[in-house]
Amino acid sequence: MSDTTASERETDGNGRSTLPAEFLERWRDVAYNCFSSGHKFCREVCPVMQVTRDERHTPTAFQANVVAMEKGHLTLEDVADDYVHCTMCGACELRCPNTLFTGDFYRFRQRTIDVVKAMRALAVQNGIHQRNWKRWAELTDRWGNEPVLGWTRETSGARVRAWAAGLDLPTGGETVLFADCEAAFKRPSVPRSVAQLLRACGIEFGLMEQQWCCGGPMWETGYVDIAHRMAEHNMLDWRRTGTRRIICPDPHDYITIVEHYPELDDGFDEFEIVLALDVIAEALRDGRLKLTVPIERTVTYHDPCRLNKRLGVWQAPREILRAVPGLTFVDVDHVTQWSYCSGAGSNLWVEKPEITAQISSRRIAKARELPGVDGLVSACPWSERPLSEQGAAQGMEVFDIFELVAEAAGFEV
Amino acid sequence: MLGFRLSAQTPPPARPVTDGVVSRFEHTYEVDPALMTEHVRQQQIPNWDFRRIVDSRWEHLHWMRDHFADQVIAASELLAELEAEG
Amino acid sequence: MAIALEGSVVDELIAICGPEGVFTGRSALFNRARVPAPFPAHRWEDHIPQAVVLPTSAEQVSEVVKLANRHGIPVVPRAGGTGLTDGAVPLNHGILVDVKLMNRIIEIDHGNRTVTVGPGINMLKLNEELRRHGYFYPDDPASYPCSLVGGRIGTSGWSLIGARYGHTRDLVVSFEIVLPTGEIIRVGDGGGRSTRKSSSGFQLKHLFIGHQGTLGIVTEATLELAPRPEAEFSAFFSFSDYMGAHRLTGDLSRSGVATLGGVVLFDEMKIAYLRRDDEAYIPQDESVRAVVACASYGNADEVRAGAKRLLRIARASDGSYMGDEISQGDWWSRHDRYATPQHGRTRDGQVALMSWHCEDAAIPYTELPAVREKWHAIASDLIQRFDMFDDWGMFAYTNGAHKAWGDYLTEIDIGIWESRWTDESWAAWVDAKREIGRVALEHGGSLTACHGSCRAGEVDLVPVELGGGFEVMKKIKRALDPNNIMNRGKYLLDQAYEEE
Repeated sequence: MSDTTASERETDGNGRSTLPAEFLERWRDVAYNCFSSGHKFCREVCPVMQVTRDERHTPTAFQANVVAMEKGHLTLEDVADDYVHCTMCGACELRCPNTLFTGDFYRFRQRTIDVVKAMRALAVQNGIHQRNWKRWAELTDRWGNEPVLGWTRETSGARVRAWAAGLDLPTGGETVLFADCEAAFKRPSVPRSVAQLLRACGIEFGLMEQQWCCGGPMWETGYVDIAHRMAEHNMLDWRRTGTRRIICPDPHDYITIVEHYPELDDGFDEFEIVLALDVIAEALRDGRLKLTVPIERTVTYHDPCRLNKRLGVWQAPREILRAVPGLTFVDVDHVTQWSYCSGAGSNLWVEKPEITAQISSRRIAKARELPGVDGLVSACPWSERPLSEQGAAQGMEVFDIFELVAEAAGFEV
Repeated sequence: MLGFRLSAQTPPPARPVTDGVVSRFEHTYEVDPALMTEHVRQQQIPNWDFRRIVDSRWEHLHWMRDHFADQVIAASELLAELEAEG
Repeated sequence: MAIALEGSVVDELIAICGPEGVFTGRSALFNRARVPAPFPAHRWEDHIPQAVVLPTSAEQVSEVVKLANRHGIPVVPRAGGTGLTDGAVPLNHGILVDVKLMNRIIEIDHGNRTVTVGPGINMLKLNEELRRHGYFYPDDPASYPCSLVGGRIGTSGWSLIGARYGHTRDLVVSFEIVLPTGEIIRVGDGGGRSTRKSSSGFQLKHLFIGHQGTLGIVTEATLELAPRPEAEFSAFFSFSDYMGAHRLTGDLSRSGVATLGGVVLFDEMKIAYLRRDDEAYIPQDESVRAVVACASYGNADEVRAGAKRLLRIARASDGSYMGDEISQGDWWSRHDRYATPQHGRTRDGQVALMSWHCEDAAIPYTELPAVREKWHAIASDLIQRFDMFDDWGMFAYTNGAHKAWGDYLTEIDIGIWESRWTDESWAAWVDAKREIGRVALEHGGSLTACHGSCRAGEVDLVPVELGGGFEVMKKIKRALDPNNIMNRGKYLLDQAYEEE
């Protein structure tokens, strides 16, 4: 745990936490970029705001707080709980005109996710914890993977390959399949599907010697030291087994690695990080992978936030779904889906499960409005947990895109 | 975007376009970095993110058009008709 | 810092709105003090409420207002908080009534073409739902993606396509409002919820639109449903001089084309501003000094026929068609390009993060050239004195409802580097605002076409603009709000009580 003692943190006269100079140096301009414009175009695309409608939870508030704290109006204690209300879906910073219209021109875009991460990290540093996130972080640190099976069922590095039983996958090699936490323990059908599909594409790959969590949720909830340990372990593991190419079925893993790992390691350029989605789409395009088993269903697609909003990846999954024989694919365009979310991101569901449930319930209701649709396909194992729960309540089956494709390719899922 | 490589994320050198504007990629413009040295500094934006912003802008604009009406009647087409009508 | 409300008052609020609907924490208060207008952040504490409530029904709003009357506590209504004249900014602390949770679509009346909604709904979100039925609620401000219906009514909003469809006041058929004393009434044209025209009694609908929260809190609104447009047309024309562009603006506006949604005239300073980043303007020839834009909506055959007429008029002018890409792309970006902090430039050309301030007078067509010169001179003087202001140019936009001719929403946009505020520069700024307003009045216009005129520097001119009308305003205020509860301090209406 990266607590500091009270004497090390910056406080006001009443012993309440203030923003250190280096925090302000780093984030002041970003905060003012929002504060000075105040468009609030973020509000109605924000999945949390669509539920709570509470201005404390607007992306604008997350930036304005920085300004207010610099002026001594608010302390970290005043706002720490507000900053829990974010899935880090990225809708706010993408829809912001300061990103969408001028972010490229000025090479200065709105960064709300980074500010939320920094504020959460500062809270942890100052000993202001969210109860469940703290437990979650402690167990992740102890077990190597997040406690996605509940507080008592160990998700250790020793068990992380259990999903691959019977597939006879080697360890290491040039390419590895990166499967951790939620996918490895909670929805093993996802990595199993991906593994079988990669084989069918003729790709040689192995598994890590000991897979740890990518570290993403630790960065997201403020436990930065643990995140660094996870990342450094994983990079060491890759190097030990001669790995150069990492295939990620989970977009959370991918974005964590490309956004956070390079700053920790000067030699990061030796690695290539690939989305499994792109590999499968390419193999379908060039004919290496053939889908022959018809799936006679009518489904729509849920754009996972990290793919659609944060990476701009929305074409490949649609291309894949259109290649599945027998499938009727009712599409909702990806820009409309900027305001959709499952509510799972950045472990909101661990700390505020009632908000996640409402977000995912709304998402399922949107799918239900579409004529004939009784299946929702996602491409992110984290989203599939709350969506499946709400889907069960509303009569909507939830699949992972790799499960569906594996079935169409004739594999047992 | 098939495969992230760190070394592929550095932007190419800029060429001047007008006073205060440069360009690094086709059809995109950027402020002359010299104008962002005193009061506000530029961020490190990797190439994939730059591309994401540019593409998202156009996707958003087409979405906004579609949000308001089913079709667009282009002035160029009508001007050509007027030209033909004399 | 505001004195905390008595615990018993907070308990009463909780009894009305439930514990989940009442907030007194500091971040809840500080994050409801601002709107996107220049804000004296150094005096932030002067503008925070003492408590925030998020009601879910008109009855709750009514009970909160009655409670406020019993205790003499001011009430500030807040919807999106995106207005530009501080309507939703508390001037005397009090209880802030935030209506964002009241955002349901209550009823779509297909037969009579209305939709009834809560005041906390946003137009873009509403239209996403209406589209499934082939309908469209055509209230399209620049803040279209974030402003809320309640605020549109409270500020008497203006729509970018108002010349075709009308503005907020024309698009709201009737609404329910909680009066300053807590009674819930419905106002419209006469009695029926969906009656569009009546001669029965006073026309109270207009009285309760645009009062900036001083006369009540809207809790439900019945809105027009237009057919979703089949087609859109937009065209931009460039000019080498302002007067040629001014002539075409007038000619297009007077064309009588029924599908015409609006005509816009951009001046030289605005083009220079657009050249800073807009990919459509950067490569434009230096000779482009003014631009005229127009847009139409409606049935495809009608838009097409009307657009041909507009283009015939434009061909006869000195302007050049700027091509489909800019004509369409810049129209589609109409909500997004208006307030960009990074466009701020200091005198030496460096980028500085500036807030967007926009003066939005209504100016008669014939007066536009003269007003333009005077306004730029005022801005120029300000910039010379303080290296924290930047002239972002002007545009004039057709202001009529269901017709394009007549007067124009005329804006001068000024960038302000707000972290540089001093008492001196703030005072100079307020003086400049007042001068800008005075010029508008001297030329037969109004202080504001859409934002309202509550802020320092403009509000002092409201009695000048309205004359005897302002005396009537004060009488109405005192009659409806005997304890001066609703948005106390706004619009100089405290004067209504001083004279007692």
